[in-house]
Amino acid sequence: MTGKEQLFATLRHEVTERASWVPFAGVHAGALIGADATQVLTDEDTLFKSLMEVNRLYRPDGQPVVFDLQLEAEILGCDLAWAKDGPPSVASHPLADTMTVPCKCKLPKPNQGRLPLVLSVMRRMKEAVGETTALYGLICGPFTLASHLRGNDLFMDMYDDEDYVNDLLAFCTECGKLMSDYFIEAGMDVIAVVDPLVSQISTSHFEDFLSGPYTELFDHIRSKGVFSSFFVCGDAARNIEAMCQTSPDSVSVDENVDIITAKAITDKYDVVIGGNIPLTSIMLHGTQQDNMKYAVDLLAQLPEYKNFILAPGCDMPYAVPVENTIGVAQAALETESVRKMVENYISDTFNIDVQLPDYEHLERPLVEVCTLDSATCAACTYMMGAAVAAKERFGTEIDMVEYKFTEKENIVRFKMMGVKSLPSIYINGQLKFSSVIPSSEELDAAIKEML
Amino acid sequence: MMSILNDISENLQRGKAKVVKELVQQAIDQGISAKEILEDGLLAGMSVVGEKFKNNEVFVPEVLVAARAMNMGTALLKPLLAGDGVESHGKVVLGTIKGDLHDIGKNLVKMMMEGKGLEVIDLGTDVAPEKYVEVAKNEGCQIIACSSLLTTTMGMMEDVVKAAEAAGIRDQVKIMVGGAPVTDEFCKKIGADKYTADAASAADAALELCEAMA
Repeated sequence: MTGKEQLFATLRHEVTERASWVPFAGVHAGALIGADATQVLTDEDTLFKSLMEVNRLYRPDGQPVVFDLQLEAEILGCDLAWAKDGPPSVASHPLADTMTVPCKCKLPKPNQGRLPLVLSVMRRMKEAVGETTALYGLICGPFTLASHLRGNDLFMDMYDDEDYVNDLLAFCTECGKLMSDYFIEAGMDVIAVVDPLVSQISTSHFEDFLSGPYTELFDHIRSKGVFSSFFVCGDAARNIEAMCQTSPDSVSVDENVDIITAKAITDKYDVVIGGNIPLTSIMLHGTQQDNMKYAVDLLAQLPEYKNFILAPGCDMPYAVPVENTIGVAQAALETESVRKMVENYISDTFNIDVQLPDYEHLERPLVEVCTLDSATCAACTYMMGAAVAAKERFGTEIDMVEYKFTEKENIVRFKMMGVKSLPSIYINGQLKFSSVIPSSEELDAAIKEML
Repeated sequence: MMSILNDISENLQRGKAKVVKELVQQAIDQGISAKEILEDGLLAGMSVVGEKFKNNEVFVPEVLVAARAMNMGTALLKPLLAGDGVESHGKVVLGTIKGDLHDIGKNLVKMMMEGKGLEVIDLGTDVAPEKYVEVAKNEGCQIIACSSLLTTTMGMMEDVVKAAEAAGIRDQVKIMVGGAPVTDEFCKKIGADKYTADAASAADAALELCEAMA
């Protein structure tokens, strides 16, 4: 079963053998190849290359092709403020001083703004990995798009002029339908409507203003034969039921929502729920073990793998350590073995006598590859592959060994060595490469230093 | 007299700006002091809104319309308050940190703080650490309050703490931090004084800090 088939089975509400896994690597994708956020979102080749690296290292069942809620706003006249380590922000609101609705003639066309770049990368990703990975096209939700255009006054307009808000939302819904069409035509399998501001309004406001537009949007996406998802950020717990009533195939929530409680609601509507690994405390600032533990603990709360997608709470911060996502990926793909690893790591009770090599007096350079398990973890496979290739080049000039975290002895060994993240390569006891796979030149140079 | 002040409070809670304005004018005409109208009418109403916001009973739109109603009322009272011996409960300089343009949360904090009778200098968004400190120093603020929505900008808050130290005013101001990715642990780590999870709690904490420093 490919990752794509796995995710499709989940979205068809089938029981699966493991949980589906969708890493929301937006600008973070750039971090994998040393590109900054602006480059990722403005340069076609950089975006493509970054996404391919996400696919290679994190082995996703599904992945977003671009995570930028400002794409439509930019075309519709909002100025953007760009950042090196995050998506751009909207810096001006064209309707801030005028309570008007733009002409439909202004709706985005495929040749405007950054759409040519995005659509081209979608086609290239479809060609490159589309057989095995489900691709997500993300559009800006009508409410957030309306606030991009109108600014914060939109909230007061909900009291002052309901008709205006309805008209503006109708325009933004049309925009969403058009963007969906473009993305579906470019090969996207899932259209995710991302509307973080939904968490900032009451359920009655959601029902008054957004139930109609969202139902229309999801009906439209369904009529085109692809799956849909409704992404929110923040404490949207109270609105989950109203969101389900608009009939998306799935919803996605962040750590502000108790996902198990929310799942009881989404299950009632047979809607898939995805989430909600904490972005900052766990993914950005936690260790690899924290990430694996969080993921397996979350999965342990599910009676079966049905209607659930393991995913970060929202767009991953740019600087999430690669090994943390690798840890989550491994927890999703090899849940039972990671559960054992984490248990062993925490219990710390086994009394195994491990002798570290005498690094000071080695006969030849010793390359030690520390992995979660090179047989099942993609990043570990590549790291191990790099070491094996080096061993072939250097022959008897070096020694090379793999230590798998799945073995208790190696948990003791890693603690003694001070190994913080996997996969990594140590040469003569010194950490040389962590998480990011070295090129053959880099690895050879590091070995030669020790010869 | 109590009934008109209650009416002001209740209409404010429902965001009825025009009604609040009319009622405040009526109260003034009845000879009720500006101080009483402010504290027992407008601020009392805003306090209820703050509590409900904290408890997830009302949300951003409800707070914004309530704050607008409060501002309509206070505009009428301002010329009278000066002669009424009403002093502000403290002075806060507030802004969203450099590199961050998000202002909904920051605006809510401002409204809630004003609803507690605090004077707030709003520096807007994308505020350099030195700017907070400069204004706090020149204006005699007891509190610097920084907001951040992005994980990438929250680190800049530490520079505010450092800038306050460098300017020699660290012992004269309390530094408050907040925003979606910010936590109490982070607040402690950067050496700031107070983290709060929502706008209403921020206002409560600011008032407490100002009273403790008075």
